[in-house]
Amino acid sequence: MSLHEKFSSIRKGLLEFLVLKIIAADKVYVAEMLGRLANTEFATQEGTLYPLLSKLRREGLLDYDWQESDAGPPRKYYKLTAHGKEQLEELNGYWKEINRTIGQLGKQP
Amino acid sequence: MNKVVVANLNGNAYQLEEAGYHALRAYLDRAETQLRENPDRVEILGDLEQAIGEKCDQFLGAHKNVVTSAEVERILAEMGPVHDASSSGAAPEAAPGAESKDSAPEPETAPKRLYQIREGAMMSGVCNGFAAYFGIDVTLVRVIFVVLAFLTYGLWALAYLVMMIVIPHANTTEERAAARGLPFNAQELIDQVKKKYADFSDNREARKHSRQVHKHRQERRRHTHAASEQAIAVPGYTAHVVTGLLSPIFGLVSAALFVVFIFAFISMASTGAVLGWSLPTGIPLWAGLLILIAIYAMTTGPIKAARRATYAYGARPHAWLAALDGLFWLAFTMLFVWLAYLYVPVVHELIEKFGSMWSNGSMWNKVWFGILV
Repeated sequence: MSLHEKFSSIRKGLLEFLVLKIIAADKVYVAEMLGRLANTEFATQEGTLYPLLSKLRREGLLDYDWQESDAGPPRKYYKLTAHGKEQLEELNGYWKEINRTIGQLGKQP
Repeated sequence: MNKVVVANLNGNAYQLEEAGYHALRAYLDRAETQLRENPDRVEILGDLEQAIGEKCDQFLGAHKNVVTSAEVERILAEMGPVHDASSSGAAPEAAPGAESKDSAPEPETAPKRLYQIREGAMMSGVCNGFAAYFGIDVTLVRVIFVVLAFLTYGLWALAYLVMMIVIPHANTTEERAAARGLPFNAQELIDQVKKKYADFSDNREARKHSRQVHKHRQERRRHTHAASEQAIAVPGYTAHVVTGLLSPIFGLVSAALFVVFIFAFISMASTGAVLGWSLPTGIPLWAGLLILIAIYAMTTGPIKAARRATYAYGARPHAWLAALDGLFWLAFTMLFVWLAYLYVPVVHELIEKFGSMWSNGSMWNKVWFGILV
């Protein structure tokens, strides 16, 4: 079993957190999000991302605006709602906790 | 040269090669099934169509306005399988490329169905379908079928004919995957495209040529029915089976009616009565015969229409199916004549009378037993 496989469920679980992070940094549309993730361990595809975004929107974490694009039809640009920003703060804090725990475990007490 | 289908992707028209269109159709159908519980289903499907359309644009230019099948397959592979994020457990899938092949989820429960597979078939694809279903070599299946045909004194050949009609053909990529019980996903599509390229680079020209001719014929055939198929939606597996079953049943009924009619006619012509019922006085014989013909025409009319409907209904519009139907009809007719000869005394007498005109009366027995034993 490769490392990639061992952590596959973790990567899946973290995708939502990372998508919130990406959207928090800048207003983005789906192709941009995919591009940001493309060369990381978290590379994903439209088939996964669209349903995820729709779920997050239903949960009130994000929303989108239609914006005209130079080439082609208007695009959905996603942004975080206030609730989404709070959630991201919490997730960030929790993630730091996890990292600290991982760092501490295995050291001599 | 390939046929082109125009597809509406979220409000924009795209011209796709037919095989590509079918792959896309299968992908979107599958996505819809995945998202059937999702309240935002329509919106997500619209987004997916939009994304596919934008990817198509990359392959189109001033001098290229058709997206090829290979390009569609590549686009679908890029899109990745659709997972419903809100349903528990169905977590997003990650990373094209980075993923090793054996880590791909291989659900044991992929639907497996018996189909006829035309590709590489000797006749209709029944043996091919069985081979795919049981995962064994097609030659072995053919040998088993031939041996069975001998062991059952030809009864298996009849069973084969029935299977030819009843078992649906695997037409789409998804159906072909189901025929082998393989999971249908983007990975599957890629593998198939790769395999197709490998096949093409094969320099067995004759084989390639014959396959193309076959494919063309198939495409043309499908084309003529495209309109009706789209109007009534592609019939599902059950519909295929039902129409397949109905066709021989209608054949049986009309054969029975035909036999009854013939005997009524002969009986009327020779004795002036049908099963003890004689013509009322005053009505000439020819009028009685005309009435018989009229009754026959009236009773068979609806059945004939229904028979035509079973093979016009998008199922398998083959010329040979109609021919096979006729063969069924003939077989049933002969069977009925034989049964009537054995068990209905009136019919027995009639045939004896007929037979003695022709040759010795016992000849019928010899012929029938010669065929059946």
